[in-house]
Amino acid sequence: MWHAISRTSRMSQSGCPSGLLADKNISSSATRVIVKTAGNQKDFMVADDISVRQFKEMLLAHFQCQMDQLVLVFMGCLLKDHDTLSQRGIMDGHTIYLVIKSKQGSRSLAHSFRDLPTNDPCHRDRNTKGNSSRVHQPTGMNQAPVELAHFVGSDAPKVHTQNLEVSHPECKAQMLENPSIQRLLSNMEFMWQFISEHLDTQQLMQQNPEVSRLLLDNSEILLQTLELARNLAMIQEIMQIQQPSQNLEYPLNPQPYLGLETMPGGNNALGQNYADINDQMLNSMQDPFGGNPFTALLAGQVLEQVQSSPPPPPPSQEQQDQLTQHPATRVIYNSSGGFSSNTSANDTLNKVNHTSKANTAMISTKGQSHICATRQPAWIPALPSIELTQQLQEEYKDATVSLSSSRQTLKGDLQLSDEQSSSQITGGMMQLLMNNPYLAAQIMLFTSMPQLSEQWRQQLPTFLQQTQISDLLSA
Amino acid sequence: MEPPNLYPVKLYVYDLSKGLARRLSPIMLGKQLEGIWHTSIVVHKDEFFFGSGGISSCPPGGTLLGPPDSVVDVGSTEVTEEIFLEYLSSLGESLFRGEAYNLFEHNCNTFSNEVAQFLTGRKIPSYITDLPSEVLSTPFGQALRPLLDSIQIQPPGGSSVGRPNGQS
Repeated sequence: MWHAISRTSRMSQSGCPSGLLADKNISSSATRVIVKTAGNQKDFMVADDISVRQFKEMLLAHFQCQMDQLVLVFMGCLLKDHDTLSQRGIMDGHTIYLVIKSKQGSRSLAHSFRDLPTNDPCHRDRNTKGNSSRVHQPTGMNQAPVELAHFVGSDAPKVHTQNLEVSHPECKAQMLENPSIQRLLSNMEFMWQFISEHLDTQQLMQQNPEVSRLLLDNSEILLQTLELARNLAMIQEIMQIQQPSQNLEYPLNPQPYLGLETMPGGNNALGQNYADINDQMLNSMQDPFGGNPFTALLAGQVLEQVQSSPPPPPPSQEQQDQLTQHPATRVIYNSSGGFSSNTSANDTLNKVNHTSKANTAMISTKGQSHICATRQPAWIPALPSIELTQQLQEEYKDATVSLSSSRQTLKGDLQLSDEQSSSQITGGMMQLLMNNPYLAAQIMLFTSMPQLSEQWRQQLPTFLQQTQISDLLSA
Repeated sequence: MEPPNLYPVKLYVYDLSKGLARRLSPIMLGKQLEGIWHTSIVVHKDEFFFGSGGISSCPPGGTLLGPPDSVVDVGSTEVTEEIFLEYLSSLGESLFRGEAYNLFEHNCNTFSNEVAQFLTGRKIPSYITDLPSEVLSTPFGQALRPLLDSIQIQPPGGSSVGRPNGQS
C-alpha cells in the first residue's frame, strides 16, 4: 500500500513505493495544492503525478471520513480516482474543492418557505427579549403578515407583465399621492437634520447655495414638486407650452445667472436648456421615488416663484383648458382632506393607533414603489450624460420661465399643500421622526432601495411595539 | 469513458438601486457607480443566493427582485445537483451562516463568488466584488458605514437551503 506523506518533498524522487505509477515516465516534483472545504482550507504537498485515489487516501487521515464520502472538484470537473492531478492540469498553488458527503447518503434538504419576519435574526431577537414588548406583540405582528400577503400577492404574479404596465403612470401617481410620503418629504426639519449629519452633504450644499437655500427656507417645496410630478399630463403640457413661453422673462428672480436670457445668443442657450429640462423632468418622472431630489427641489422652488411673479400672458385657451381639466388637483385635495378629517376624529388617546396607521400606509407605499422600481418605462427619452450638479442651475432657470405660464393652475395646489402641512397628523409624525433621527435617516435610505425597505418592513412590528410602549409611559 | 454531464452555471446580477446609483453616485459619493449589485448563482434549475437569512434558493428569477438586470455566463460544471446541495449544506453551516452576513465584507456577492469558483473554477466579475471597497473608499461611504453595517439584505421569496436543524 502506498503511504501518503504530506508536507515533504521526499516524493520528488521518481516513482512511488507501491509501484502503481512505476510505469509512468514522469519526473515528479513537489506540488502544493490547496484543498478547500466549505469551512476552511489546507495545504498539501504532493507529487504532481499522484493519482486522485492516492490523493484521497491522503485526505482521509485529515478529514476523518470514508473514501466514498470524498468528492474532489477542480475547475468544475469531478476528479475521478484513476486520474492523476497533473492530467487534470492541477499545478502548484491550485485549489481543489473537497465535498465530504454525509454518511447517510443524500441529505434531506429543507426547502421550507419561512415567514419573512422570522427570517431576520435581529427581529427575532428583539421579539424574544424584553417581556414588556411581548405584551403588545399581537398588535405589531398582526400587521406584518397582512402586509406580506399583500406584498407577495400583488407583486409576484406581475413579474411577467411588468413591461406591459410600463406606460401606465398610475402606479407612480398612486405612490406619490400617498400622504405619508408627502408628509415625510415635506418635513424639512427632518430632511435638514438628516443632511446636517453628513459633512459631505453640507459641502455639496455650500458649493450649491441654491440647493441649501431651498432646503432651509422652503419647507413645502418637495411636497409641491411631488404634486407636480404626479401629474404626468401636466408636465407634458408644460413641456409643450414652453416654446411659446420662451420669450417670457422674469427678472424678479435675483439669481444672477438668469441674466443669460438678456445676453446675445442667450436664447439659443436657453433653447438647448429647454431640451435638457425636458429630458430631466421626464427622467425624474421615470423614477418611482421622485427622481433626483435636487431636480425635484428646483422644480418645486419654481412653483413658489411663480406665485409671486407677475401674471404671464395667458397661454392659448386650448392649453389652459387642458391644464385646468386635469383631475390631479382634485385628487390632491381629496387625499389631504381625508387625512385632516382623520386627525380631527382621533383624540390624543388614540395616538398610538394613529401612528400605526401612518406607518403601515407608508410601508405599503414602499411595497408599491418596489413594484414600480422594476419597471423600465420605454417611452422615456434617454437621459443625456450630463453631470447633475451642472444641470441644476440650468434647470432652475429653465423651469422658472417654462413653468410660469401654468401659474394659475398650480396656485390652487399651493394652498392645498398649506392645509396639508399644517394638519395635526403631520405634526405627530414629524415629532416621532424628530425624536428618532436615526430612524428618520434610515427611512430616507429605505426609500431609495427596495431591499432596504423590505427589511424595514420586517422590523416594523418591533418598531410599533416600541412606539406603543413609549406612548404608554408618557401617558 | 462516457462524456460527463455538463450543467450550465449562470450568475444573475441585479441592481438593487434600479438605476439610482448610476445617477446619484456622482453627487452622493463623488464617483461613478454603475449599480448596487446583488448577485445569485443559477445552476440545476434553481437560483441560489446568500442573505441575512442564510443560503436560500428559489426558481430562477423567483425573488421579489423580479428578473435579473443581467445574466453572466460563468461556465459549466460537472458537479451534480446532489453534490452541490451537499456543498451548500456544509457552506450553510460554516462560512455562510445567516449570522455571518455582513453587507460589506460577507454578502451575497461573496457567496456567488465562492460558489462560482467551486462550480467552475472562475470568479465572478470584479466590478461586482469590488463594489464595497469602492463605496467605503469615499468619505461619504465612511460616514455612512455605521448605518450601512447594520443593514442586511434578504431578498424575499426564496426558501432556505440546509438541514432542517441547521438554522436554529
